[in-house]
Amino acid sequence: MALAPLSLVVVEAEFLVVTGRSGSGKSTLLNLLSTLDKPSHGEVMLNGVSLTLMNEKQIAHLRNSCFGFIFQMPHLLPEKTVLENVVLPFHYGKLPVEVDVEKRCSELLDYVGLGEFGLRYPDTLSGGEMQRVVFARALARRPEVIFADEPTGSLDAGNSKKIMRLLQEQVERGCTVIMASHDVDAVHYGTRIVHLDKVESSLRQEPV
Amino acid sequence: MIFHYHLFDMRDGWASLSRRPLRSLLSSLGIGIGVTALIAMLSIGEGAKKSALDKIASLGTDALRIENNSQAAFTGRNSLANISKGLVVADAEYLAEWLGTRGNVGAYVRRENVTISREGRSVVATVLGVSAGWFEAEKVQLQSGRSVNQGDITLRENVCVAGSRITTILGTAPGSSIMLQRFPSNLVGVLAPKGRLLTEGTGLSALDFDNTVILPIFSLQAIFPGKDEARLDGLVITLNDSDEASILSIGAQVEEILLVRHKGVEDYSLVIPLNLLKEARDSQRLFSLIMGTIAGLSLLVGGIGVMNVMLANIAEQTREIGLRMAVGASRSRIANLYLWNSFLLTMTGGIWGMAAGVILALFIQKYAGWDVAFSSFSLIVAPLSALITGIVFGVHPAVRAASLQPASALRDS
Repeated sequence: MALAPLSLVVVEAEFLVVTGRSGSGKSTLLNLLSTLDKPSHGEVMLNGVSLTLMNEKQIAHLRNSCFGFIFQMPHLLPEKTVLENVVLPFHYGKLPVEVDVEKRCSELLDYVGLGEFGLRYPDTLSGGEMQRVVFARALARRPEVIFADEPTGSLDAGNSKKIMRLLQEQVERGCTVIMASHDVDAVHYGTRIVHLDKVESSLRQEPV
Repeated sequence: MIFHYHLFDMRDGWASLSRRPLRSLLSSLGIGIGVTALIAMLSIGEGAKKSALDKIASLGTDALRIENNSQAAFTGRNSLANISKGLVVADAEYLAEWLGTRGNVGAYVRRENVTISREGRSVVATVLGVSAGWFEAEKVQLQSGRSVNQGDITLRENVCVAGSRITTILGTAPGSSIMLQRFPSNLVGVLAPKGRLLTEGTGLSALDFDNTVILPIFSLQAIFPGKDEARLDGLVITLNDSDEASILSIGAQVEEILLVRHKGVEDYSLVIPLNLLKEARDSQRLFSLIMGTIAGLSLLVGGIGVMNVMLANIAEQTREIGLRMAVGASRSRIANLYLWNSFLLTMTGGIWGMAAGVILALFIQKYAGWDVAFSSFSLIVAPLSALITGIVFGVHPAVRAASLQPASALRDS
């Protein structure tokens, strides 16, 4: 079993930080909550609806319209420009009629400080810049929940700080952020910390 | 919306293939070679078919052609000449009577390389001495004047009808006189341009109607003596009933009649163009089977190559597939993306394969002298077979990509 049995409730506009040692199941927990993985036992509920009962299309739609993802490694499509990478989620869901997609994505790049980088390709960016592109992509469809799995794991202190501030701003705007991290500095940005300890099969929660 | 998705997946597929151009090129090579083989062979087959059909149409699908073959039959067996004299006027008369209203019989004798001249201009041509029924049996049309009639034959009139090329070269028209070697003859008619009798490979003698002078049969023998007047060089029989079975049946009966009349000596050769058509069809069927097998095998090998490359691409792009799923791509969209990949690979191969096939066919036409023809069938079948290959061999990689679990795909190193 990759994850010890646990029961966790996350409330709206919460910045939940999941900590724990390597192998404690932080990433597994995030994958289960974000539907990237299926639980072998138990249930994941969102607004009272069981995600485990949803079919594949509904889950894909949920990921596209309600969830944003930031991974430890900045996953970008190398053959697409920075702007095209940010626009990507719009190609997998309904195009919003009232929104100029390219304009919105350019604004998001401005927001993460990469307004001039839209036409560049990912291999010309630094790790910190790529992670900010990923951040902009996560925000593209105005998600209700952002899942961030070690978002600062591959960044230097300066870039880590930028990413954490951006996440904090999203929480202030009403977005829920669930972040797995063992970065001591990053933990301080959370409004609640969940500590996973596989050995003890327990969950300790402490408000910040 | 669906159009937007497909357009996006197609562009993504193309971008993905462009990342590894050499691999994509090599992969499309297999399909391209298959399509090249298909186009080249179809066009060669089509050319052969067209050439055979042209030949048969030129000889007449409702015709029977008989040529005197006594020289070959008698070689080394002079005793046979005492039994049969080869084709004679009596054969033509008998067949005309036997045939009745079922068709026309035309008899002829021919002289080659006769110099035709008028007022200092000359041309070397074939001269035919024909029976009155020949014009109808050979279905020749007149451009001007009249044809040779039974009266001309009976009275051994010194009249002739010339092919259009001859009258053009000599600058003459009906009513004037032309010289056949040193014998004058009155030109009474000009044949409409008809071209050559396509006899290659049939065993029949070639004949260019436009370069032929036609005389009454006995007039020719009077001008160019030396042969038994009763002997013929050939017969042409045209049947009114164009039914295939009827033509073949009459052909068999004519052969039987001639064999009996010639006392079992085959000193003639009977060619039934309809049989040539059947032979051409059989050859065409065999050729199509062989070429279809070769092209099919090429496409199969090409398709396996495409599948191999697709699986390699998917193995390399596993994390990207996980990423696409994370941002909302459904399994069907992932499958769609990789189907577009294989479709683009095979279609690229198909397009350059078509171009290479056309070039190869033209090259063969130029340097091997084979007839080629490009039918719309081959230009549709070739890309269609590439498309089907792409879909068939793209399904397995596409399903494999779509069945990846996003979390494990994102963890892929």
